[in-house]
Amino acid sequence: MSATISETALRELVAGWIAQGKRVVGPRVIASPIGPARDGRVFYAPLQSSDQLALEGFIHPANAMKEFLFPKHEELYGYRITGKGIELKEVESLRAEQVLIAGRPCDAAALPILDKVFNWDYKDELYNTRRQLTTIITLACTEHDDACFCTSVGLAPDAERGSDAMLLRLGDGEYEVRCLTEKGKALFDGKLKASERGASLPSAPEKRFDAEKVRAFVKENFDSPFWPAQTLACLGCGACAYTCPTCHCFDIVDEGNIERGVRARNWDSCQFRMFTLHASGHNPRPNQPARQRQRIDHKFRIYPEKFGEILCTGCGNCTRNCPEGIGVLSVLSAL
Amino acid sequence: MSERAENRGSTGVPPVQFEPKIVAFVCNWCTYLGADLAGTTRLEYPPNVRIVRLPCTGRIDFNLIVKAFEIGADSVLVSGCHPGDCHYTSGNYHARRRWILFRELLQALGFEMERIHFTWISAAEGHKWQEVVKEITEKTRQMGPYKELYRRNGEAASPASPRPSTTPAVSPEPLRSGTSEPSAAAEQELRDTCRRLLAEDKVKVVIGYGKRGPVFITKPEDVEKLVWNDECLANLTVYLKRKEIKALGRPAIVVKGCDERALVVLEEESQLERKEIHVIGMACQGMGEPKCEACEVHLPRFADEVIGATDKHAPGTADRWKALESLMALTTPQRMSYWATEFERCVKCYACRQVCPMCYCERCLVDKNRPTVIEPSATDKGNFGWHILRAFHLAGRCIGCDECTRACPAGIDLRLLNLTLAKAAEEQFAYRAGVDPKAEPLIGAYSLQDKENFIR
Repeated sequence: MSATISETALRELVAGWIAQGKRVVGPRVIASPIGPARDGRVFYAPLQSSDQLALEGFIHPANAMKEFLFPKHEELYGYRITGKGIELKEVESLRAEQVLIAGRPCDAAALPILDKVFNWDYKDELYNTRRQLTTIITLACTEHDDACFCTSVGLAPDAERGSDAMLLRLGDGEYEVRCLTEKGKALFDGKLKASERGASLPSAPEKRFDAEKVRAFVKENFDSPFWPAQTLACLGCGACAYTCPTCHCFDIVDEGNIERGVRARNWDSCQFRMFTLHASGHNPRPNQPARQRQRIDHKFRIYPEKFGEILCTGCGNCTRNCPEGIGVLSVLSAL
Repeated sequence: MSERAENRGSTGVPPVQFEPKIVAFVCNWCTYLGADLAGTTRLEYPPNVRIVRLPCTGRIDFNLIVKAFEIGADSVLVSGCHPGDCHYTSGNYHARRRWILFRELLQALGFEMERIHFTWISAAEGHKWQEVVKEITEKTRQMGPYKELYRRNGEAASPASPRPSTTPAVSPEPLRSGTSEPSAAAEQELRDTCRRLLAEDKVKVVIGYGKRGPVFITKPEDVEKLVWNDECLANLTVYLKRKEIKALGRPAIVVKGCDERALVVLEEESQLERKEIHVIGMACQGMGEPKCEACEVHLPRFADEVIGATDKHAPGTADRWKALESLMALTTPQRMSYWATEFERCVKCYACRQVCPMCYCERCLVDKNRPTVIEPSATDKGNFGWHILRAFHLAGRCIGCDECTRACPAGIDLRLLNLTLAKAAEEQFAYRAGVDPKAEPLIGAYSLQDKENFIR
């Protein structure tokens, strides 16, 4: 026995959430007055109407879902300089509930991983509030491409980790719904039909590398010629980190004028030269191979040693978005 | 935006009458003295103008115009010495050339051009200053406050997004693999050539295409890693500037006709010694990119050797600006809305900069934070600031390889900005970047004949 919902009912449900004033985010084909975005690619974006929700025809949106819990730019507080004093202004607290729908399981699995880093020595209020206000409904994958490797990091196309509810495609416009938490149940309460049908096992990408071996390798091979050999083509942009569901580095800046301004945090990436540049001019990671090594090192050794989890969910976005075809997968398949 | 709102006095009662704010960037020697003369001769003019004095019009950074609007200006005036009168000989000529190009860019971005004014006012023209300020103030008063800056028209302005069921979405480019049949012979010849070059020690490294992106071949036995197929999109000349690659020694580089134009510009700008690089040109049938539709360089022109053949010929040049048509057919506020919506997806990963062969600065202006020139945040301000800066620093230099557009993970059609400037360069100055190795760089030069029908 399983619980199911039709696509029509699902879209009605989404329309209802939007009407209730919830912020609903899901995969969407971006169109503009002069045509669709390049290649008609799909992004996670806020939905204004339920028909904007894209449920098939793509492997993974070009961005990552983390953007809606840990925004690329977030104001921490405002300030105003008054005579000799400084007046601080709190940012408005978040209230709007958010539903992330049809997210990929690899995006959802990143959230429990991120929870750890945002609640380690400092409890990040902004992140935690957003997290509490958000319900995650994932859509299990039925397809994968050459860049996908969730199975290599211990996940699967229907991994339930991080999801409040999961949709599984049954065909004929029907979806099986697995409510995994109270939050998920609440959203689908009374909307599901009981059915005999159950989703068949999705086809998973084959295992491409052994994460334990990677950890052992990076631990022992800090100065290995492997790094320059594999990453010489890296040009040092942040496309991999900024479209990664788990990368979470940020920089804090003050923006304003002589009278007032805001303190904000912006995403940052270990692939930038400026990331580790010291005021003295010394840069401990002087080139791209060193920065790429850091990326792998952090994901497969540093984070697991500290938090017990690999900082990668195998979504493949780094590889897909890299202009030169470098990503976690292409580097690690060479091991 | 919040700053703008505050400047509007959003906290209090709405102002009874709109008083325009006008920012005037003037040169120290002519217009500033002209304004001074207006004052000393007791000529009255509206107090709406705020003067910012700079040493020379040549020093008026284009960002300042945008910045003025961001902090609440309703109109901007840029003014300096008449042609021939510049106290630094040619600052105003350089400025004039830059403004010609910059206006085109702002227009494509959807700025209201009626709010940007250019004049020449000499130290003796107190009256002209008075007139100009009066007129601009009046005109701006009639136009009302500048509300359209970075404004999105909301979802209603764009046609409803197609459902994927009707328009199947294409997933992002998968890992590169496979070869196309017709190029197999060229691929073999490429490998043979590179094997020879490396074996004879003519070069130390071959920068070429591999199965999964660029490869750097240093041993003759590794040439089998080189490929030539319709996935060879990257412009490899970007690697010539990189320290790690330079350290490998004298390079041979594989280029397509379009990529090769970068070498011409880099040489013009003294960024490379052409004779220190062995250039292997590949005849190209097109890679299926939008730029390929109007390609005129299927055969590289300056390469040390050209491999393969092509039956493609240059199409009529009329098609070159076709991509701009639908953008320019929009109204000004629609264009602003279009870019504001597109830039909203920008994550500031700077892939557009990193893949650009022309972006070779050791430290990009956007990475400078004392003082901050462009705000690093991915906000309207920061995004417009960055994309204007990127596009304009490539004015007269961009060779149209469209790598920025290909690299953008947010799918922003950056090439429209590059095309706008390339079109302006060609129409106004009959200049095309990377075509003629003897040509004087567009921005570094000026001509007494540069048009000035937009300058009062």
